[in-house]
Amino acid sequence: MNIPNRKVALACATAALAVTALAGCSSSDDADTSSAAKTLEIVYWNYGPAAESGNKATADAFMAAHSDVKVSLTPVTGENWGTYYANVATLIASGKHPDLMVISGEGAQFVHANNLVQPINAYVEKDPEAKTLVADIAKGLIDGFTVKGDIVTLTYGWNDMVVYYNTDVFKKAGLEPPSADWTWDDFKATAKKLTADTNGDGKPDQYGFTWASNEIFPGIMPWVANAGGNLTSDDVCTATADTPQVNKAVTFLKDLITEGIAPAPMPMSDVFTRFQNGQVAMFGAGRWPIATFLPAGFKAFDIQLYPKGDTYKTVFGGAGYPILKSSGNPDLAWEYQKFTVSDEIEKQYVGTPDKPGDSIPSRRSVAETISKVGVPPANSDLFYHSIDKYPTLVPYPAPAKYSTFESTVLRHLQQIFASETSVSDGLKNMQGELSGIVTC
Amino acid sequence: MTTSSTLRPGVVDPGPPAPRPPRRRGDGAAALAFLTPSIITFLVFVLAPTVGVLVLSFYNWNLLSDGTFVGLDNFDRLFHDGRLLGVYGSTTYMALAILAVNVVAGLLLAVLLETRMPRWLRGFFRLSFLFPFVVSASAVALIWRFLLNKDLGLVNYLLGLIGIDRIDWLGSSAFAPVSVIIVNSWKTIGFSILVYIAGLQSIPNELREASIVDGANAWTRFWRITFPLLSPTIFFLVVINTINSFQIFAEPRVLTQGGPGDSSRTIVEYLYDRAFGDFDLGYASAIGITFALVLIVLTAIQFWFSRRWTFYS
Amino acid sequence: MSHRLGFWLARVLTFLVLAVAALAITAPFLWIFRGAFSGSDAELYRLPPSLELGNLTVRNFGLVAEQVPYFQFFLNSIIVSTVITAAQLVTCSTAAYAFARLRFRGKNALFAVVIGSLMIPIQVTIVPLFLVMSKIGLTNTLWALIFPGIFSAFGIFLLRQHFLTLPRELEEAAKIDGSGRLHTFVRIILPLSGPSIATLGILCFTYWWNDLLLPLVMISDTERQTLPVGLVLLAGRFSTGSLGTIAAGIAMAIVPVLIVFIAAQRYIVQSIASSGLKL
Repeated sequence: MNIPNRKVALACATAALAVTALAGCSSSDDADTSSAAKTLEIVYWNYGPAAESGNKATADAFMAAHSDVKVSLTPVTGENWGTYYANVATLIASGKHPDLMVISGEGAQFVHANNLVQPINAYVEKDPEAKTLVADIAKGLIDGFTVKGDIVTLTYGWNDMVVYYNTDVFKKAGLEPPSADWTWDDFKATAKKLTADTNGDGKPDQYGFTWASNEIFPGIMPWVANAGGNLTSDDVCTATADTPQVNKAVTFLKDLITEGIAPAPMPMSDVFTRFQNGQVAMFGAGRWPIATFLPAGFKAFDIQLYPKGDTYKTVFGGAGYPILKSSGNPDLAWEYQKFTVSDEIEKQYVGTPDKPGDSIPSRRSVAETISKVGVPPANSDLFYHSIDKYPTLVPYPAPAKYSTFESTVLRHLQQIFASETSVSDGLKNMQGELSGIVTC
Repeated sequence: MTTSSTLRPGVVDPGPPAPRPPRRRGDGAAALAFLTPSIITFLVFVLAPTVGVLVLSFYNWNLLSDGTFVGLDNFDRLFHDGRLLGVYGSTTYMALAILAVNVVAGLLLAVLLETRMPRWLRGFFRLSFLFPFVVSASAVALIWRFLLNKDLGLVNYLLGLIGIDRIDWLGSSAFAPVSVIIVNSWKTIGFSILVYIAGLQSIPNELREASIVDGANAWTRFWRITFPLLSPTIFFLVVINTINSFQIFAEPRVLTQGGPGDSSRTIVEYLYDRAFGDFDLGYASAIGITFALVLIVLTAIQFWFSRRWTFYS
Repeated sequence: MSHRLGFWLARVLTFLVLAVAALAITAPFLWIFRGAFSGSDAELYRLPPSLELGNLTVRNFGLVAEQVPYFQFFLNSIIVSTVITAAQLVTCSTAAYAFARLRFRGKNALFAVVIGSLMIPIQVTIVPLFLVMSKIGLTNTLWALIFPGIFSAFGIFLLRQHFLTLPRELEEAAKIDGSGRLHTFVRIILPLSGPSIATLGILCFTYWWNDLLLPLVMISDTERQTLPVGLVLLAGRFSTGSLGTIAAGIAMAIVPVLIVFIAAQRYIVQSIASSGLKL
């Protein structure tokens, strides 16, 4: 990428207009990358100790294998993917040019639309090593990171949305564990039986099911997908929020609340604790809850696929290290990206029963070892099967303005679930707003 | 500066009027020396970024690619933004309520603290009131979110014990802003109490003792002595709490994500989403500048009014 | 008789109001401290809340130190908050004195600019501020957290309001003695301003102790982060960390501020008694 002169000029204008003393507006920062032949700069989301140690381990292992390369890591702290992207963008605006940056699947359209990313199609075709790697990665994971034919990155770890259920609560209610072919009706009947008033004050204090109010993937998306709908068209260029399918999914969830089977929606973190506590018998999420549950000593849970509606589609999301266009050494960056999906690195996403990984390895051969190593839950093989053996929701609804897209959807859902607007009116308003956000 | 002639009737005259100091040369040089440390840091770390925001408001820029100059487009968009007015409405509602709690309840508690009591007890009360202020806003909001949950929260459980039906604190348009008001007031009232205490401490005891001898009761003493002498402090708190409460950010974000709808959304949260959700820096800057203008006008009105009721000795 | 009754009624009412307010304000902290010492999160959410204190453990505190470099964060926070507070006390008191007592051209306009600077939310100036910092090469250093805090319109305003309430006669007397401005300021004004300066100190320290936005944006290296970021890291991805651990982190972050407060509070009480303020 050329040095963006206008951007530098703007940056300088903002910085220096008032204080001429600061007008040291050289673009020397931008020139560094060309001389940096054997260095790699990697930006990642530092969401906690696991992220830091994981990235350090990967970088150290890479340097051990390539003694002439220096990898420098730039952790970027953020409360969620949104603040992480915002802070990375601020870094880039100040003239930093990383070679690779961690993104989640939701960010694929974003980096692509902003022309930040170097697609890897050519590498995948030419590099013989890539062929074996790609063959070991589920097709859905490649498709999920393909934007308009450009493969944005290989995925190192991913999550699919499954239903977690508290086995103790099931036992206490005298219920059999759910099976993979359960339907929405089965699900609702089960959830109803799990709802109880345990302290006898006339109001339920144990609920059958809840979902995250602050995210759409572990929230409404599996229901929308299984009703045969999606929030955007297949090319992610048009919003499709007021279709009968979306309406059916949202109505189903809203009825759970009004019938007292689900509590008022709460954010994911609150759900975790209520679930361990037995106050909520089932909820939906990816593999990441086990990284909270197992170290806390909580093992009374298992997983199952989401119940079938008019169809079944696995909803998933992943993360990878795309090569940025600003990279001075894309070939080396490609080596690094490949390294992030090597056996050596992928193993850490498996983890151990006490220190489990927080996502699913993207390599099938590695993911299959989860149940062999004995990392709970018992049904762990389901994680990879769900993407290998079932249809998937691809491409997933993550337009370039994902953050706004998600908050708009959530804002209207809040009103629907609080019964402040009808489902159809709420979705109509949602669609109206989304049509300005989901564009190409 | 106001002289005692503009005070309301009934104010105890603090003594013979001080003779006006004779008019003399300005203190330009001294003022410069006293102001220099502030001016330097102000220029670099406050003014420069502010000018930056001003510049940005004329650009279309998403941080990642080149910015384009768009003239007044961003300001024009303000008039076509269907949500902005609603967000201003909810911001104003919550801000005024928080302001009232801080200024009125804060004064009440601070004055009650003046009652004769053992030292340790006074210290204990002060500490209790300030406690929430010393903790990070987003961390305590996280705790409150658990406590205020409609069906599984502790607050509704306790209310249930006295027969009150579950309230949807975070999920309904009626109560979501109330929750933000409660949590923010809870957090900030200690600050107002502390400033009130400092103000009350500056009131010379002699004045109050004199009026006790006069036989004035507590109520009259408060209105005739404490209140007028405290007026600079009250004025300060009105101004500062207005600015702070209009700019709340962490509480609505953590508690309600601004919803449902925009019922508990604040302008700052809205512009933050435009800046870092949409990466629409130019428009966010335009919102920020117009919002600052609104606050400036509000504050100017407060300063203007203050001349009528603020009393400086 | 009825006068006495009224007196006692007022006293009882006073203490009742204070006690209820104190309880309502501190109640959530009882919960936080209970959580910090609890063995499992599940226990924390039981309804009715369990009041038994049988399973208390300090495990959570160990987990905090294990998961984040707590003491490094602590040190950074202490440095940043202390330096800013010290600097603010100097810049704010001198500037406030100039605004309260000195005559110079453009005073009102300058004061209006100072107050005006409070109006632009930091959330919108943060990007230009980051660009300024990055141009002078201070991003990813503690200076990037310190410099933006040194100028405080709030502090200037607070102290100016206080200085305006001080009797002018004292200064006039000093002037007749032939003392200079600095002397008057240091020997007359400051000693009379203990409560306000201590208040500013507490408020400033607390504010910067808890600031999250600046370190989140300015700092990338973990070893230069501050405690609020530590809480974010403890909260983990999508805030799914253990609440007991987060509560322990909050508890550990509160203690130093409480010490500052208690120290300053003693000073507030004493300074009145010893100031000899007479009219």
